Amino acid sequence: MKFKLPFKKKQQQQPYKEMNAVKEKVELIAPSENDFTQLIKDTTNNPADLVIKSIPPNLTLIYINNLVNDQTLNEHIITNLQNNFFETPEAIWPILSIPEVNISSQLEETIASLLNGSVLIYVNGYSQVVLAPIPKRESRSLSTPENESQVIGAQVGFNESLSTNISLIRRYIISPNLCNEELKVGKRTHTSLSLLYMNGIASDQMVNTLRQRIQDVDVDSLLDSAVLLEMIDDNTLSPFPQMLLTERPDRFCDGLLNGKLGIIVEGSSLAIVCPIAFVEFFESREDQNLRWQVATFARLLRFTAIFLSVFLTPIYVGALTFHYEVIPQALLVPLSESRALVPFPPVFEALLLELIIELLREAGARLPTKIGQTIGIVGGIVIGTAAVQAGITSNILLIFVALSALASFTTPSYTMGNVIRLIRFPIILIAGFWGFYGIMLAFCFILIHLLRQSSLGAPYLSPYYPPRLKDMRDSIIKFPLPFVAKRASLTRPADQEKFDPEPVKPEKS
Amino acid sequence: MKSSIQFSPKDMINASLVFFVVHSAQIGVGIHGFQRVVYQDAEKDAWISVLIAGLATHIVALCMIKTLEIYGTNDLYGIHQEVYGKWIGNFFNVIYILYCGIAFFSVLRNYIEVIQTWIFPGLATWFLSATLIIIIIYAFSGGLRVIVGVSFFSIMLALWIIPMLLFPLKYAYTEALYPMLEEDISAILKGAKSMAFTIIGFEIIQIIYPFVKDKENVKKNVHFSLLFTTVIYLIVMLVSLTYYSEGKLEKTIWATLTLFSFISFPFMERFEFVAICFWMLIILPNLCLYLWAAYRGAQRVIKISGTKFVWIFSLVVFIATMFIQSRTQINMINTQFGNIAFYIIFVYPIILLFIVMLKKKFTSKKEQSDEKV
Repeated sequence: MKFKLPFKKKQQQQPYKEMNAVKEKVELIAPSENDFTQLIKDTTNNPADLVIKSIPPNLTLIYINNLVNDQTLNEHIITNLQNNFFETPEAIWPILSIPEVNISSQLEETIASLLNGSVLIYVNGYSQVVLAPIPKRESRSLSTPENESQVIGAQVGFNESLSTNISLIRRYIISPNLCNEELKVGKRTHTSLSLLYMNGIASDQMVNTLRQRIQDVDVDSLLDSAVLLEMIDDNTLSPFPQMLLTERPDRFCDGLLNGKLGIIVEGSSLAIVCPIAFVEFFESREDQNLRWQVATFARLLRFTAIFLSVFLTPIYVGALTFHYEVIPQALLVPLSESRALVPFPPVFEALLLELIIELLREAGARLPTKIGQTIGIVGGIVIGTAAVQAGITSNILLIFVALSALASFTTPSYTMGNVIRLIRFPIILIAGFWGFYGIMLAFCFILIHLLRQSSLGAPYLSPYYPPRLKDMRDSIIKFPLPFVAKRASLTRPADQEKFDPEPVKPEKS
Repeated sequence: MKSSIQFSPKDMINASLVFFVVHSAQIGVGIHGFQRVVYQDAEKDAWISVLIAGLATHIVALCMIKTLEIYGTNDLYGIHQEVYGKWIGNFFNVIYILYCGIAFFSVLRNYIEVIQTWIFPGLATWFLSATLIIIIIYAFSGGLRVIVGVSFFSIMLALWIIPMLLFPLKYAYTEALYPMLEEDISAILKGAKSMAFTIIGFEIIQIIYPFVKDKENVKKNVHFSLLFTTVIYLIVMLVSLTYYSEGKLEKTIWATLTLFSFISFPFMERFEFVAICFWMLIILPNLCLYLWAAYRGAQRVIKISGTKFVWIFSLVVFIATMFIQSRTQINMINTQFGNIAFYIIFVYPIILLFIVMLKKKFTSKKEQSDEKV
């Protein structure tokens, strides 16, 4: 028995009737120059940047000015075409010194190619056209991953160009088994995206499931991978993301090499990695670069931080509203002293402060970097101190709230960090009404909720539930390398062995 | 066998998880105050009663698994239908469903009472019962995997409570246990019988057995689990016996919680406030498993969908929690339920095993004679 979402099902049932209908009546290219240019103008709504250029005696070039690479056009196409005479479209093919040339007789394909940055070379009188793709690839240069920075490790992040991102990955994984499937999503935007996985490691079943899910997405536009993620993950209603968004190529490749599947969307600097377990959101790629003792310490610290971040303020609220008995007398005195002037009940006080912190975060994220820092200082110090002096909040709560805000930022995944910050609010509220009972209720609810989730069909709380002792060696506690020679069974990898568990010690041999 | 059940491998669980299921089903509200009940009968030899009760669970579990093994992939409800025929079998099934329902109710009502007595005297019964039931419905609707997951986490996340029992040991007076075996054997046995309410829960293997992937490992895990439970009860009982002065235990309703109330840390006092709230996680698998067991039975007797069943069941329990209010009523229900449970859980499975074995012998002889003809 499972409560299924109505719209998800509908989404899957909608077949591609419209697309098929279009495909059935294939429009052919008119064999006359005037007819052909008119046809192109009509179908593309005659844009201002459409260039139609005649090359005597019988050639016509059609391209969109902003999409093609001018230099290539001049040096490798126009120069070659000007001094020759061509009888047929086939004759043009060998003359052009560019890597890819196609010939098409279908209007739809021609238009699609034109919009992707091709030059159409039309020979008068033929119902075929030569397509020479010379797209202008505009992308910013590679930069450091700002949202997922790390101290030890590579300092390069994805950018918005699909081809650059794939070339980055191909440089990490030099293997013929790196599979790259191109898919298109969006009826209007025709956004291309790549589904990447390692053949021989990734489970075929998962690849099929993911491919099917992407193909079932029926939207008219797709502008970012985060939107795609929400459409293809297992439970759209859950606040917890069930697939990882990363801007680090090394994290992406690490995922692929562990049997995960990756998706890169054109125009988005965030790549999707799935399936992923809940605890993996709190693991940083940097942990792999550190020695196991340090990595374990960092992970334990992070998990404690997350627990504190979610439950510290609610515990404060619950204890001060209902359970004074729990607080030892030595602690009760400073607590009551600091709260003596506060006119509000603890729950209101806590919500107010949490809201201020969230405001600071939001303002800091929206503003330019330099101003953002200033706002942080103004907000953090001025508002904090002033609030306490004005008697709106207590000192101790201020510490707790700042601590939990700080702790929530230790989450390596920003999307998961957002969820951690979000779920704190209902828990504070429920703690204000029903104390520890309310907190526990919320805890149980979250636990059951997490138990019910899955990522691409794999259990979300793996390796803890279902318990897989071998996989637990690299989760909250990271074991030394010889113990983690096998891939986690979360991804149902076809090949389990990662490396020889015998440590390399040349001096002993 | 016609009533045996087939599942997709997705619904199946590993045998190692049976350990958690059985243990989490056993530990619940009983542990809050079982000391008094047993102490009334067996006085300072109460710990021997706990041991005997633990031993009894092993024997009964052995019988239960034996019965299940004879039928391969079938649960208790199916076995009832096989053994007694459809009508009488369903009659037994209905009794068992009612038993699960009462067990569910009893756990819920006891927990609500503890919360109202210790933490929130003002919080309405309907509110507590409604919130708990909603959480349970949410877990139940996730299917068996989620319920077993709740059992698993309820144990793993509650393990830290066991070392808390070291705190009262500071004031323990071990001489209180001597002289041993002062009470006569019948008093000790009576004390063991009083343990029934606290130690039941392991009957869930009769229902969950067909869902286990590697059935040959069930036995090992169940017995480990029972041993673990017995050890925990034994520790709690020994700590209580040595901590409380003579006769005091008889007047303490929730001896374990009173033990907790002395525990203090530099940042926290009155540990029982935390423990009682945390106990929600420990009773959660109890409630989920009983609800699920009742649902499995109801599905056998009348074809009913999970959603429909869970709402009817919850509504009945919800209304019932509002009617039973006073301590005496709850205590009476606990005692009566303990008595019924003793017969259903400790006596009946042994009888059932005999019937099943007799029937098996009879039918196999008949088959042999049929073959000869």
